[in-house]
Amino acid sequence: MPEAVGVVTHAVTGEARPLPRRLASWVALVVLAAIPAVAGGFWTYSVGVCMANAVAVLSVGFLLRYGGEVSIGHSFFLAFGAYCTAILERQLGLSVGIGLPVAAIAGAVLGVAFAWPSRALSGIYLAIATMALALAVPELILQAGPVAGGYEGLYVSRPLVPGLSIELQRYYLPLVVLGLVVLLLARFRRSRQGLVLLTARDHPRAAEAFGFSRGYARLAAFAISAAVASVAGSLLAFSASTVSPNSFTLSTAIYLLVGTVVSFGSLGLIGALAGGAFITLVPQVFAAWGDWVPIIYGAALLLVITLGHRPAEVLAALRARLAGGRRDA
Amino acid sequence: MLDASITAGAELTVTSVSLSFGGHRVLKEVSMDFRPGQVTGLIGPNGAGKTSLFNCLTGLYRPQQGTIALGGEPLERLPPAQRARVGLSRSFQHVALCPELDVVENVMFGRARLGRSGWADAFLPLPAGRAEVEESRAAAMEVLRRLDLAAYAETTPAGLPPGTQRLVEIARAIVSRPRVLLLDEPAAGLNPAETRQLMAVLRGLVSPDLMIVVVEHDMDLIMQLCHRIHVLNFGQRIATGTPEEIRADPEVIRVYLGDSDD
Amino acid sequence: MSDALQDLLSLVWTGIVTGCLYAMGALGLVMIFKATRVVNFAHGNLAALAGFVVYGLTAMGGGLGWVASVLVALAIVVVLALVSYGLIARVSEVSDLRGTIATLGISLVLQGVVQVLFGADIVNLDLPVPNWSATVAGLRVTSYDFAVLAVSGSVIAVLFFVIERTRVGIAFRAVSTSAFASRVCGLNIHAVQGLAWGVAAGLGVTAALLIIPSTFLSSTTVASFMLQSFAAAVLGGFSSLPGSIVGGLIVGVTMNLFSYFVTSELSATFLLVLMLAALNLFPGGILPQRGGGSRA
Repeated sequence: MPEAVGVVTHAVTGEARPLPRRLASWVALVVLAAIPAVAGGFWTYSVGVCMANAVAVLSVGFLLRYGGEVSIGHSFFLAFGAYCTAILERQLGLSVGIGLPVAAIAGAVLGVAFAWPSRALSGIYLAIATMALALAVPELILQAGPVAGGYEGLYVSRPLVPGLSIELQRYYLPLVVLGLVVLLLARFRRSRQGLVLLTARDHPRAAEAFGFSRGYARLAAFAISAAVASVAGSLLAFSASTVSPNSFTLSTAIYLLVGTVVSFGSLGLIGALAGGAFITLVPQVFAAWGDWVPIIYGAALLLVITLGHRPAEVLAALRARLAGGRRDA
Repeated sequence: MLDASITAGAELTVTSVSLSFGGHRVLKEVSMDFRPGQVTGLIGPNGAGKTSLFNCLTGLYRPQQGTIALGGEPLERLPPAQRARVGLSRSFQHVALCPELDVVENVMFGRARLGRSGWADAFLPLPAGRAEVEESRAAAMEVLRRLDLAAYAETTPAGLPPGTQRLVEIARAIVSRPRVLLLDEPAAGLNPAETRQLMAVLRGLVSPDLMIVVVEHDMDLIMQLCHRIHVLNFGQRIATGTPEEIRADPEVIRVYLGDSDD
Repeated sequence: MSDALQDLLSLVWTGIVTGCLYAMGALGLVMIFKATRVVNFAHGNLAALAGFVVYGLTAMGGGLGWVASVLVALAIVVVLALVSYGLIARVSEVSDLRGTIATLGISLVLQGVVQVLFGADIVNLDLPVPNWSATVAGLRVTSYDFAVLAVSGSVIAVLFFVIERTRVGIAFRAVSTSAFASRVCGLNIHAVQGLAWGVAAGLGVTAALLIIPSTFLSSTTVASFMLQSFAAAVLGGFSSLPGSIVGGLIVGVTMNLFSYFVTSELSATFLLVLMLAALNLFPGGILPQRGGGSRA
C-alpha cells in the first residue's frame, strides 16, 4: 500500500458537516462568550490562553491533515509570532492589531523558507528538521540580544482597543480569532487548493499528473500551517501578557502535537478547544506533580494512536486479524 | 485552456527512445506514434518495456536518448507536473483517488489546474472564487452524468466497486479536456461485466481531438477497443498495425505463443 | 607548526572522537527506519534512561559495579525497545506516520519516568578508565579518546560483519528492502524487526554512556544529543548505514569547528542549517545509493 497516509483525521468536514456538530459549535461559542461574565479572573485568563493554544493546535492539525506531515517544531512559528508582536509593541509602540497580521504574513514566508529544502523529499526529513527547529528556538531568542529581552522575556500590555478593559480584550481577541480561523479552514476544505492538497497528501503522483508538484503541496501546506501557528503565537503573547524563551521549547512543540492527536486531528471548533484545553490545563491541574506531565501526555498520545478514534477502522483491523490476514504497511 | 502552441490534431510521437537502469537497457531505440481520434494499444509480454515506455510518456522516467513530442513540441524534459499543461492526462493502475474527498470533488480536482482563483479565494467567500467552484462542480457533474456516475457524486470512493472507481478516475482525467489520455492497465482488477462497461465508456470518449493510449494485459479489450496497436518485446517495437494485422503478424504470434499468460 | 594549525588539528581530532558517537546513534536510527519505516524519536530518551540507570546503580548508592550496572541497564533498555517495537508494529500497520507519532508518545513517557525516578537535576557520570593523556606531535590525546574510538570502532565493525556476512544480516537486508516480499518468502519479519530495534537501542546506550562523561546527564540533554545523530543520519540519506558513519564524522568535526571559530551558543541552529543545506545539495545523501529516503 504505497503512498497511503491514513492520517489521524476525521472524514467529516466542510459542507458534509452534519447539523448537530454545527449547532454544538454555536453553543460552544455562546458559552465561551459568557465565561468572563460568570467566571472569575483566573478562569477568564486560563480559558483565554486555552483558546490561543487551540489556534496553535489547529496549525499542527492543519499540517497533519493537509500535508500528511508531523511537525515537532511549531514552537518556532509560535515563538516567532509571539516575539513579533512583543517587539513591535516595545520598539514601535504598535498593538497586537498590527502585530497579529504582520506575524501571519511573515510566518507564512518563514514556513516556505523552512520547507523549501525538503520540498521534493520524503516527509521524514521534514519531521527531523522540525526537531532541530524546535531546539534552535531558545538559543536564537537569546542570540537576538536585548531587543528580545533575553531570559527575562518581554511584556505585552498595550490594549487592542484603548479604553476597554485589557483583561476582557485578552479573552475576547483569542475567541474571535479562533472562530475566524475555524471558519477560514472550513472554507479552505472546499476550495480548489484544498482539493489539491488532500489529493497530493494521499497520492503525490496523481497530484503531479494533474499539474501540481510535490513541492507545491509541501510548501503550501507548510506556509498556511506556519501562518496559523504564528497567529497563535501572537495571541498567546497578548493573552498571557508575556513572552520568554522557556515557553517555546521542544516540549512545547511536542505538546502541540499531543493536543492535535487527542483532538483526533479535528479542524473544528470543539476539537481545537479540547486540544487547547488539554495542553493548557493539564500542567495547571497537575502543578504539584510536574514530573508526571510528560507521562500523562505520552500516555494520552499512545492511547489515541494505538486504539484509534475510528471504531470502524479498529473493527475492520480486528476482523482482518481474526481472519488471519494482515495488512502490509 | 490549452497551450496555443499545440495545434489541434497534432500527433504524439516517440522517436528513438532508449532507457536503461544501471546498465540494463529496458527500451532500445523505440519509435512510434499515437494519432488523435484513435485508441492506440501498447502491448507486449511481461518485461517487454511497455510500462517503462508509459512512464516515459507520463514523465516519471526520463529517457537517456530520443525524443517524445506532442505536435512537434518536445516533452521529454518536462517534469510530470508540467505535462498536464500541454494536455496530457492519465489514470493509474492502482486507483489513486483521494478517500477523503467525495466522488464529485475527486473529479473537480482534475480541473484544479485550470482554476484561476488565488489564495484569498481559498479562504474567503469572494464572488469570483465561489463562481469558479460552482463552475467546476457543474463541469464535474456533467462528466459524471456522461459516464453514468452521477448517482455516486456525493459518496466517497472507498466504498465503490473497483470498476466504478476506475471510471471515476477516467472522469477525473477527462474533465480538463486533455489532448492525450493515458490509461495504465485500466482493466486490472475488474470483473468481466465491469470490463465491458469500461470498454463502452472508452468507446464513447473517442473524438477527433483526443488520443487515447492504453497499456493493457487484457487482449480481448485491446483487440476490441483499439484502432491501432504497437507491440513491444525485449524493449523494442516489433509490430504496429490494426487489430487484424496484429493478430496475423507471425512475429507477434511467435512472441505470444511463448508466453502462455495471455 | 603554527598555533592556528595546532588548534585546527586538535578540533578535528576531538570532532572525530565525538563524531564516532553520533555515528553510533545514527546507525540505530537508520536501522530502525530501514527495518520498520519509522523515525524513532524515542531513541535518545531510551539512551538517557540507560544513563540514569547506570548512575542510579553505581553512584546513587546502588553499590553495583560499573560493568554489572551497564549490563542491567542494557537489559532494561533492550526490553523497553522491544516493548516499543511491539506497540509501534501494531500502529504502523495503519501508516508509517502513526508509527512515528507513537514514538513521540514513548519518548514523552520515558522522559517522564526519568524525571519521576531520578529528578530533573543534572548529574555527572564518568567512564571507569584510568585518566591518562599524552601529547603526540603537539596533539593532546586522552584515554577517553581511545576508549571511545576502540569501543565505537569495534561495535561498528561487528555490526557490519553481522549485516554483511551472516544469515541474520541477510534477513535484515531483505526486510529493509521489502517487508512484504520477505514475509512472502517465509521470513519471520517481526523477529528481524524486533532484533533491529534491540540492536539499535544497544547502540544508542553505548553511544550515550560514552558521551555523558564529556558533557553531563539530565532528563533532556541526552535526548537532544540525539539531534546530532539525526543530523548524521540525514546527511547519510537516512537509509544508508555507511552514510550515517560518514555523516556522524562530518557532524562531529564541523560542529567542533563552528563552536570554536563562530559561537558555541547556536549548535542546534548550526545543525538545522547543516541539514537543510545537505538536503538541498545531496537529496539522496552524501554517499549516493539506490533506494534512499526519497519518496520517488
